[in-house]
Amino acid sequence: MTEIVVIARLVPDLVEELEIAPSGTALDLSWLRVIINEFDNHAIEQAIILKERSGATVTIISPEAEGVEDMLFTTAAKGADRLIKLTGIGEEKPTNLSLAQTLATMIKEMNPDLVLNGVQAHDDITGDLAPQLAQLLDMPYVGYISGVSLDGGKAKAYKEYPGGILAEMEINLPAVLGIQSSEEPPRYVAISKVRQMMNSTSIEEIQSSELETESGVVIKRMYLPEAAERAEMLEGDEKEVATKITSILQDLGLL
Amino acid sequence: MPERIDYWGIPHQWGSPSILVYSVMFLAGAILIFRFYLRARLWWKVGRPESRWNKLHIRLYNLIKYSIVQTRVLRQKYPGIMHIALAWSFFIFFLGTALATIDSHFFKFLNGTVFSLYKLTLDLFTVVFIVGAILAIYRRYVTKPERLTYQPQFTWSLILLTVIVFSGITTESLRLAVEQPINGVWSPLGWLIAQAFLFTGASEMTLTNWHLGIWLGHLLTAAFTVITLPVGSLLHILTGPVNIFFSELDRPMGQLPPTPTGRDGQPVYVSMLNELTWKQILNGDACTECGRCQDICPAYGAGLPLNPKDLILGIREMLEETKASPKENRYDRSLLENPKLSKEVMWSCTTCAACITECPILVEHIDTIIEIRRHLVIEGMIDSELQDALTNLGQYGNSFGQSPRKRAQWTQEFDPPIKDATREPVKYLWFVGDYASYNPALAEMTTKTATVFNQVGLDFGVMYKGENHSGNDVRRVGEEGLYEMLVEKNLSALDRCQYQTIITTDPHTYNTLVNEYPFPEPQTILHYSELLAQLIRDGRLQFSNPLNYRVTFHDPCYLGRYNGVYDAPRFVIKSTGCELVEMPRNRDLALCCGAGGGRIWMEEGNIQERPSESRIREAVKLDGIEHFIVSCPKDITMYQDAVKTTGHEADISVKDLIELVVEAL
Ligand code: SF4
Ligand code: SF4
Repeated sequence: MTEIVVIARLVPDLVEELEIAPSGTALDLSWLRVIINEFDNHAIEQAIILKERSGATVTIISPEAEGVEDMLFTTAAKGADRLIKLTGIGEEKPTNLSLAQTLATMIKEMNPDLVLNGVQAHDDITGDLAPQLAQLLDMPYVGYISGVSLDGGKAKAYKEYPGGILAEMEINLPAVLGIQSSEEPPRYVAISKVRQMMNSTSIEEIQSSELETESGVVIKRMYLPEAAERAEMLEGDEKEVATKITSILQDLGLL
Repeated sequence: MPERIDYWGIPHQWGSPSILVYSVMFLAGAILIFRFYLRARLWWKVGRPESRWNKLHIRLYNLIKYSIVQTRVLRQKYPGIMHIALAWSFFIFFLGTALATIDSHFFKFLNGTVFSLYKLTLDLFTVVFIVGAILAIYRRYVTKPERLTYQPQFTWSLILLTVIVFSGITTESLRLAVEQPINGVWSPLGWLIAQAFLFTGASEMTLTNWHLGIWLGHLLTAAFTVITLPVGSLLHILTGPVNIFFSELDRPMGQLPPTPTGRDGQPVYVSMLNELTWKQILNGDACTECGRCQDICPAYGAGLPLNPKDLILGIREMLEETKASPKENRYDRSLLENPKLSKEVMWSCTTCAACITECPILVEHIDTIIEIRRHLVIEGMIDSELQDALTNLGQYGNSFGQSPRKRAQWTQEFDPPIKDATREPVKYLWFVGDYASYNPALAEMTTKTATVFNQVGLDFGVMYKGENHSGNDVRRVGEEGLYEMLVEKNLSALDRCQYQTIITTDPHTYNTLVNEYPFPEPQTILHYSELLAQLIRDGRLQFSNPLNYRVTFHDPCYLGRYNGVYDAPRFVIKSTGCELVEMPRNRDLALCCGAGGGRIWMEEGNIQERPSESRIREAVKLDGIEHFIVSCPKDITMYQDAVKTTGHEADISVKDLIELVVEAL
């Protein structure tokens, strides 16, 4: 049976207004709610599609965070077989390298054919979790994949390049792939199904090894973009802004 | 003294004719019962069990109301009179025959005046029948409304009934011609025809022979009709009343049933014929094919794939297919594969309840649609727009995908701030609803409402981020789990509040709060139109500036049809000094705006004329109407759009009830 492992992370939800913590180098997390990383959600969908197509065991691993259980049960409702919560993660975000090290030890034992991860996450500073993991697992890695199919010991992956060029590539398994999008948009799963999973499935907890929180990269300052000189910011509520846009367009003779 | 003679003119030499009559009719009756049993047996055999035997007195009352008096049938003039004429004349003929049987075997009473009156009644109802039959013929063969089914069995039924009645009256007039009894004129029609027979100069003998022949014809046609009843369009005479008798009594119209559980304790999501309840299958067999539901359905009118009549008949069709291959015994047929019951059909319904308000035999279309939708949701067969809305509702408690903390953003301009009902006691707790809270185009209306409340000194508050979508339409989409989650969240927020009355501006919220929320204690819940009406009556809301607009009012489905609130908004409108002109489709006939049942979240599909556009066209046809008054936040956007797309911006403008109030203050 094909073994697929997906690493899914929760990230700050951008529907809330982002605020910078007093330190000036991080987001103020006290108000933030978290949500599944969109790219990881696509990775999960891709894994489930592969499972539906030709059979596979899908394992989802998620670093602990508020609401991670709900997220994991949702993936189970979609069809994931094994749910793992990675515990022992402190207040501070671990570096991708140390996270990859912990994950690699776990994943090695699972002998996967395919490891999928969202190609990026908007709270990921260095953006190298999947490549690091590939390195540690001694597997090939390709990122920005949109669509995968399995064929014997190989994976066929699709990648879009700028300029509308599409590449189809063959990758020897096992491999790590950074998913940009799944073949089909992530599916909806009914809440009653998720609730049913809560009663019938369990989440395994695996303690991570000591995690590094300091990498060679240091954030010096985090801030909201400032309006550049040339840009004019339109102030006011929706209506006022809309009126201003209309009059600008009229002035430009576009309306 | 005139007296009823048993079997006048029927020869007795082979024994009493009653032996013939009773054996023919008994046989016909037995065949009828057996055939009907074969059909009815399937409902219970195929369908899921469901108990509908409680409240027998109400069931009996409904039986009289809907199948004898036929109040629903009478909702429409032409077809109502037509059907009543046909049905009641047959009730009377049936009663007449029964009385004759009593008279001849048990208790002789048909003599003297009673007998004359008896004859007169039967004669008059023959005329009534003829009127009904003419109306039916004209309708079926001349005006030919689209909603009827044009199949030979309907023509057959009409022929059979007409033959029965005509042979009856002919037999009668032949008797009158020969016997010439003193009370002959008490059968005016029969008497008239008798004169014609006499005019032919035929001998008494000939007339008596004719009488015998036609009497036999009458008897045999009646027997034939009885025998063929279970396979023809007259079957509804039996199934209609059965369907009415077993109609839903335990839930108000505004309450959907929870997801049922099967024998194994697992939830049942309906997608197969044998997952429907026996009553839902009976709906299919009972449908009279009158097409009233088709006529009034906004989705059908808009050119969407849904036809509620076909939907119900689709169920019958599938049951018949089952019967056609009984050996296979396959009842697990996929409903969705039948084009009349496809998923596109299911998603087209706005749950406006027009069909169930109109159906003469109380078919319950919506329950079936929602149960199938639940299956579609579980299987993820939903369009991407609906998927986004549901994801947002699950994530944030609103369909707009916005932060719950922005729910009360519209309150920012109020100083002193609007009370937070989750923190301090209020008399009125305002459940604002998603559209009024988040839609920027409606913010103005929401603040106006709050301003009016402030001006009359109403002690009110809102729940700020504690409020979630009420779930009314989530439930109607078929996402029962999400609905339950939203209900839990709202109930726990409400539980933290101290209040006396819940008010809401949103009819959808109103419906689910009133009919579905499992509150631990009884609640007082008012739609703002009801609250405004109360305030006006108490003298707390007084108008100093009477408006002289000529306006019309649109009844929201979930306020009107679902909850019977028709008068409060009208009272408010009139109190502001407006002249209210009704659209032809008003009150429980009101056309849905098209947004209900979660349709507002879905892709529109291939629509010909939006219901909202049809509605605006209906309104502008009224003389000199300036404003189209609504009392539901969704209606404001729906109709403002429709006014634009129909190009009637210069003719009519959409106003919320609260705007009239503000102007008249
Ligand atoms: S509820 Fe309304 S939209 Fe749905 S089938 Fe009935 S009439 Fe049509
Ligand atoms: S469902 Fe009811 S209203 Fe519709 S066609 Fe059948 S009997 Fe008539």
